[in-house]
Amino acid sequence: MKEIFFPKRMWRSRGELKRRYDVVIVGGGSHGLATAYYLAKEHGAKSVCILEKSYIGSGASGRNTTIVRSNYRTPEGAAFYGESVRLYERLSKELDFNLMFSQRGHLTLAHSDRALVVMQERAEVNKLLGIKSSVVGPREIAALCPELDLSDRPTWPVLGALFHPPGGIIRHDAVVWAFARAADRRGVDIHPYTEVTGFQQSNGRVTVVETNRGRIECGQVVSATAGWSTLVGDLAGVRLPITTHILQAFVTEPLKPFLDVVIVSSQLHVYVSQTDRGEFLIGAEIEPYTTYKGTGTLSFLETSARHSLELFPQLERTKLLRTWTGLCDLSPDYSPILGKTEVDNFHVSTGWGTYGFKAAPIVGVTLAELVATGKTPELIAPFALERFHTDTLVSELAAAAVSH
Amino acid sequence: MSFVLACPHCGPRPVDEFAYSGEVTRRPQSSPTLRELTDYVYFRDNVAGRQREWWQHRQGCGEWFLAERDTRTNEIISVSLPKPGT
Amino acid sequence: MRLPAQPGELIDRAEPLGFRLGEYRLEGFRGDTIGSALFANGRRVFSRSFKYHRPRGLLCCSGHCPNCMMTVDGVPNVRVCVEPLREGAVVTPQNVLGRLDMDFLSVVDKFGGPFTPVGFYYRTMIRPRFMWPVYEKFLRGVAGLGRLDEHAGHSRRYDVEHRRARVLVIGGGQAGRAAALAAATAGPGVVLVDESVRLADVELPGVEVLAPARALGIWEGKLVPVDSGTVLYRYRAERIIVATGTVEQPLVFPGNDLAGVMLPEAARRLIRDFSLRPGQRAIVLAADERAPEIAETLREAGVAVPRVVDLREGARQLEAHGRRGHVRRVVVDGEETKCDLVVVSGGRQPAYSLLSQAGGRVEYDESLKVFVPRDLPAGIEAVGSVTGEGIVRAEGAAAYEGSGKCFVCICEDVTTKDVKRSIEEGFDSIELSKRYTTVTMGPCQGKLCQLPSIHLYAHELHTYEATIGTTTARPPWAPVELGLLAGRHLEPTRRTSLHFRHEELGARMMWAGPWKRPYAYGEHPEDEVRTVHESLGVIDVSTLGKLLVEGPEAAQLLERLYPNRFADLKAGRIRYGVLTSDGGRIMDDGTVARLADDLYYVTTTSTGADAVTAWFEWWNAVWGYDAEIVNVTGALAALNLAGPRSRDALQRLTEDELSADEFRYLDAKHIEVAGVPCLALRIGFVGELGYELHFPSSAAEYLWDRLLADGARPFGLEPQRILRLEKGHVIVGQDTDSESNLLSAGMPWLPKMDKDDFVGKFALEHFAERDERELLVGFTMEDDVVPAEGAQIVVEGQPAGRVTSARRSEQVGAVIGLGWLPRDRADAGTRFEVRVDRRLVGARVHHGAFFDSAGERMRS
Repeated sequence: MKEIFFPKRMWRSRGELKRRYDVVIVGGGSHGLATAYYLAKEHGAKSVCILEKSYIGSGASGRNTTIVRSNYRTPEGAAFYGESVRLYERLSKELDFNLMFSQRGHLTLAHSDRALVVMQERAEVNKLLGIKSSVVGPREIAALCPELDLSDRPTWPVLGALFHPPGGIIRHDAVVWAFARAADRRGVDIHPYTEVTGFQQSNGRVTVVETNRGRIECGQVVSATAGWSTLVGDLAGVRLPITTHILQAFVTEPLKPFLDVVIVSSQLHVYVSQTDRGEFLIGAEIEPYTTYKGTGTLSFLETSARHSLELFPQLERTKLLRTWTGLCDLSPDYSPILGKTEVDNFHVSTGWGTYGFKAAPIVGVTLAELVATGKTPELIAPFALERFHTDTLVSELAAAAVSH
Repeated sequence: MSFVLACPHCGPRPVDEFAYSGEVTRRPQSSPTLRELTDYVYFRDNVAGRQREWWQHRQGCGEWFLAERDTRTNEIISVSLPKPGT
Repeated sequence: MRLPAQPGELIDRAEPLGFRLGEYRLEGFRGDTIGSALFANGRRVFSRSFKYHRPRGLLCCSGHCPNCMMTVDGVPNVRVCVEPLREGAVVTPQNVLGRLDMDFLSVVDKFGGPFTPVGFYYRTMIRPRFMWPVYEKFLRGVAGLGRLDEHAGHSRRYDVEHRRARVLVIGGGQAGRAAALAAATAGPGVVLVDESVRLADVELPGVEVLAPARALGIWEGKLVPVDSGTVLYRYRAERIIVATGTVEQPLVFPGNDLAGVMLPEAARRLIRDFSLRPGQRAIVLAADERAPEIAETLREAGVAVPRVVDLREGARQLEAHGRRGHVRRVVVDGEETKCDLVVVSGGRQPAYSLLSQAGGRVEYDESLKVFVPRDLPAGIEAVGSVTGEGIVRAEGAAAYEGSGKCFVCICEDVTTKDVKRSIEEGFDSIELSKRYTTVTMGPCQGKLCQLPSIHLYAHELHTYEATIGTTTARPPWAPVELGLLAGRHLEPTRRTSLHFRHEELGARMMWAGPWKRPYAYGEHPEDEVRTVHESLGVIDVSTLGKLLVEGPEAAQLLERLYPNRFADLKAGRIRYGVLTSDGGRIMDDGTVARLADDLYYVTTTSTGADAVTAWFEWWNAVWGYDAEIVNVTGALAALNLAGPRSRDALQRLTEDELSADEFRYLDAKHIEVAGVPCLALRIGFVGELGYELHFPSSAAEYLWDRLLADGARPFGLEPQRILRLEKGHVIVGQDTDSESNLLSAGMPWLPKMDKDDFVGKFALEHFAERDERELLVGFTMEDDVVPAEGAQIVVEGQPAGRVTSARRSEQVGAVIGLGWLPRDRADAGTRFEVRVDRRLVGARVHHGAFFDSAGERMRS
């Protein structure tokens, strides 16, 4: 509050690279910054730096659709994201920065009885783990979201929904800035516009991180680089089961409050929410092809517009204003890859697909613990990279899919 | 992507008509170790650069073919029909 | 109020049009925009601003800025300065509590300043946590602009047209027209797109002129969608010439947002297009060379211009003051001038956005002090002032000193103070600061604020504009209606050839993948189950995927695609098959009938046909067997006639021999049923004696009617599910998921591991060496409760497995189901607990079919 009247710097301006850091975190997004913050706060780490090739939050952290939820299908996933939501709930206070976490409720629509079954399964898993989540019928949906077209006019009428009251949206940039400020105040050096160009290794450990601004000796390395994780992995000689895809989203011109919940339809591949500024924020699934080029497609805008109007015909004459794309690192089972790799002191946070932002605080807590103690916390043990070598996956995918 | 892709049969068509099917992988010959198998099934080069990949002209002639594409620019360098080897 | 007729005015004074603004009835002329008609009626304040609710008037009059956004006929956020006036239009102000000239929310402007600096919402409303939803509700209510009509929608018919152009010229100014004409000399296929209604009547020989229409962006493959209102033209061009010209830039000084402060083009349009005098007494402020020209235009229209300031001469202090939001006086370096109009020219920025989207580089030109496009990709050209050509360097201050709020970004109400503060707080890159201050994120998409804000950043950071750089230009170039992007309402769906028969019979239809199928025909699916068990039922299974695999090496292909054997299958025989991925996961299942040595008929699940076809074709592209794969799903209808009476009933309709010896279980035969040639498959998914008839779709209704006339009763998907569950038959995709394999899903007998190779073999070899974590097994419930599909199997309070199918079976006399259990609890007879409605209900594992486990009925 005080800072309203007495503006204060959020973080120090970029300093010189030190010769050595105990922990070098590659990637200045929500995951990297959160990890740095918890390392400093919980484990008293004194020598931590963040290397970011652009500005902080320039990757997926600033390009997602800001939805936070924990109603996952697998018990492993639900428990993990459940903890993340609980951390998010406390975070504005803890970081003294209003993240505008709006737990307005999250509805995943079912347009077929097959989809209802999957939702039932998710609801049951969630309830057992203490996560508020239930399958609701059209009448309850109408009460939660009277604007939604529940008639039989749409091609696929809405049959029911998975209702997740704690789910909602958050101000994504604020999460990045708040973690950055908190980490900076605890002595973490943040180096924007500093790109990692290589790693030197000896005895199976990374000893030196090379950057476009010089070299750093390091104790531990964390790579939290989302869409670019394969490339950073390659530099360290760590092969990953990752493909890189673009995810697109758009906002409309601002309107007065109209939609009070987050609406998702996996059958229509669209999600719709209204930001606190009044814009409708609409996104879709990731594109099927792999690419590192972040340009969007017209067909995404067309399909998403059509599907949004199936749900909300009132938006027909609302104008699309801004579009953007981000890079996603997709894992084969849609669960993250978190923790140790075969290079002793090289840790990864990758494979998030479209879920990464939701996990930022819990990734920070658990990775910090791993880096500080060398022990993998139980919560993230199922998400080890090793599961792809042993073929014991944690599948967030429900139905069998032909994909090769 | 919204570029125009040249089907070896039908010629240049909007990419929306095609189905992408991932980078070309090398299938182990016989009884691979678990490590070799999972490397083939799950792990990908995912290069930032030239990638050989599978496409099918799904809403056209149905032909499966290979393309070489630069994943940094989405530029298609070449397309070719596969040379089958049983 | 109007000036004498101007040369080329757009209004038709002979045709007055009536419209309403709130409770007032007003009049304009045909050819007016709503904005010009309101202006003609003396209206100067059009809207209230986003954050401070400051009164705003016409600024650009070109559809760029948000100042004239109003609700028209229920549609919010309409830029009335470019919206054609219609008879009877109803215009209402928006984002106002009270009236346009008396908005109660403008207290934010008067008193909120110190409390609401940039990013204030990040610093406040944090404690207590439970109050945040209340604060948020208030914030949301104050934010936003127009209000959506909750009953709106389905009001327009949109469409899309795919077009090609040899040369697409975007922008119909002098340069664009010349380029189009030059291109037309080389042949046809030249199209010129322009936003202005003035271009609509322009004739250019050999050029198709599309106006008023707007190119929304340039996507990969030179794809340019053009917005023409209700039709989206999707152009693919061989060559694109961008001639989008420049966007006039405002000046940044205190009071620069008052109504009456206008850009030169706005004043010019009011005069030239609508014969309106933009003000009575004007002051001209220009940072470029245009001051005399602007003053001349104004004077010709009868506006007094007591003062013309060429800001290049180095004015430092500049401020405007007003009353009730209207400009009244301007002070330049201490010298005050009374006025009701301020025409400002801050230079012209090339409208490079389309070029940048197309892959062009954007560079700051130090000599012109604007950003210009460079290094255009092949096939993309730029002509005219968009290249920077003809632009005279503007020499204004980044921001002028003075008292009062000084806006860098009109859309978002971002002041110079906000920008300075953001830099002070450490948001020192343009991208960071943009996200923090929201400058350029409003409805003008940065057209009027990008350049001024970059000048300001450079000034504040004591660096060069080139160092600051720009933010990324992304499509669309201008806001576009979702309805137009959506086009026609069209979702591809599939119906079987018996769809209307089902509807006539009153079936309750449900979605099954892309298909619509009967759930059941009556209220009680169990009645239909009984019919199948006791007499004769028929179900439409046309949705099954149907593939022909034909060729000398068809057998080898299938042998390698499926884990089990098909090379040794005799002609006329059928075998069940499951497809697995190379990771060993179950993908699809169905039956494979060998019709001849070189011909197989393969069925897939209802949703799997396309994917399986693609899968087969892909592997064959790799292997190159001499075999063709043809998807005949839509060509053939399929009926499953099932029940103890099915043989007799079918025999009455055919002369072919159906006796148990002649037509055995798992035989496939060509027979003629009621004159219709059918491929008959004797299979038993529902567990009773049955025949699956596959035949040309055109005969579907006829054969269906004959079977029904003969006493067969239709049954739907739900009874079929009960019937198959009684047999313990798995539905792939329901009972299995993306991780299921043949060993875990209870089919270890299926793969033939001694085959040389098949897709998934390597994985199965490894699965065989480990213990599956969980297994798919049948179960019977101890109580008469049906757990939901998806219900959790609970061990020590933790989820340990899940129910995938569960139904009450009359035949078995219990609730039965399938589910995944941990390996150590999957033995027959093992008791476990399922969570049903918050309590735990006991169940016992059951292996095999629940009914007729020897399969005598279906083999009979």
